Formats: sequence, C-alpha cells, structure tokens
Amino acid sequence: MPSRQPDTDSTYPWAEKILPTRLEAIREAEPDVLDRIGGLGYDDDCLFAIRLALEEGLVNAMKHGNRMDPAKRVRLAYRVAPDSVEIRIRDEGGGFDPGVIPDPTVDENLQRPCGRGIMLMRSYMDVVEYACRGAEVRMTKFRRPAQRGSQK
Amino acid sequence: MKMTVQMRDESGCRVIAISGSADVESSAALREALLGAVESGAKCVICDLGRTDFICSDALGVLITAYLKARTRGGSVRLANPQEHLRDVLATTRLDHLFDVYADVQAAVAGKKMPL
Repeated sequence: MPSRQPDTDSTYPWAEKILPTRLEAIREAEPDVLDRIGGLGYDDDCLFAIRLALEEGLVNAMKHGNRMDPAKRVRLAYRVAPDSVEIRIRDEGGGFDPGVIPDPTVDENLQRPCGRGIMLMRSYMDVVEYACRGAEVRMTKFRRPAQRGSQK
Repeated sequence: MKMTVQMRDESGCRVIAISGSADVESSAALREALLGAVESGAKCVICDLGRTDFICSDALGVLITAYLKARTRGGSVRLANPQEHLRDVLATTRLDHLFDVYADVQAAVAGKKMPL
C-alpha cells in the first residue's frame, strides 16, 4: 500500500461525467480532466501518464465492460487536487477478475496485439485498484515532491 | 492533437509520418495507413514517430499487427525517432524488444540501429 494518501480538502471536490458508450466520447471527456490537472501545474510527464491511464480505463470500460452496447453508460469521476489526482471509471458490465489478465511484457506475449491497457494503467499511475467485481477501476497519481514549487 | 499521417517513399522504404495523438479514435486511420502500406507490397515500412505526442494500447496493437503481417511477407516495420514519452511507453511495454527502433528516419532506412 502506498504511504501517501490523496488530499481530502473539500476545496477540490469530485467532478462526474456520465459518458455514452462510444469511443468519440473519450476525446470529448479528456480535455476537462487534463485542463484541471494542467491548471494546477502538474508537469508534462504527469499529464501524459494520467491521459494514458484515463484513455485505457475508458476504452476498457466501453469495449470490455459495456461491450460497446450503446444502451450502457460509463461513469467517470475525478478529483484533481494540488498533491494528487484521483480517477474512478465504472462500466455497466458484469465485471472481471484483473488477476487473470496475462502479463503482456513476457516474451511469449510480446506479439499479442492487445492486452496492454491494465499494465499501462498500473505502470503510469501510483495506485490502481478494482471495485464492484472489476466493473470499477480506481486510480491515483501523486504529484512528485519536486513539482510543488511549480504549482500555479 | 488529432492524428494525421503523411506517407512518402525514401530509398525504397515507405515512410509513414504520424503526427499528433495516436489515440483509440485514430486507430482505424492508423491501421488503414500501416496495413495499406504493408499490403501494397512495401518491404520496408518506417513509422516516423518524431511528431507523435501520444500513443495508446490500441495504436500499439496496430503497430504489432502491421509488424506481424510485414514479417510474414518477408518485410519489416521499423520505428524511427520516438520522443521521450513514446520511448518510455515502448520500454514499459517491452515492445522495444520486438521492434527495431532507430534514432531517425535516415538510420531506419539504412537499417543501422543507433543508441536513442
């Protein structure tokens, strides 16, 4: 478990978006989240990491969770604070066991064209946890201490 | 930034310059460009990543599919000039062990691997 905990200051409340299950909605949703993060002075590495995790999480929710069923929705909740960014993505599918996903980085899986989303989220975020039997992913990225001085 | 692709031929190689974000919404266009180049008979396809600012797992899957298809035809898909964030993604996924990655397009054309 990480020793750091996300900010709980109510100055930075949770925001929520309910997205239709269509891939175009991802590009429409990302700027709001990333603009808030950039506005608090997070650096380019953090922005890239969070964008990648956000995209992978939303794609997984739509493709694997909702199976691209247009009748289903994806709930995106996010909280951007000076020291941390929290993201929760929940689909309306039946969930899954993240423990059974093969490691895409081992030699025998390198040529598989898919199956890298969860590994990328885990690599680029500090905390990645699943709830609701796998239908909700909860991710946290902490600001690196050196970045505090650049906070706007 | 929305992805755009530009293609040119250089010393017998088909160079595909990918600008902007190779995100999930761009994957179909990327697939069309890359697989189109491979299926057109190009033996050497070079992805110029110098202006690619983002890549997702879907786009990585397109690169792998093109790589495998090229290989079955006796050709190759080479990656050139990935910038810092893309280099990190390639290292994190260990796809830098699958692809030949070159410092720039000229090195990729020559097939001379260079330290990135």
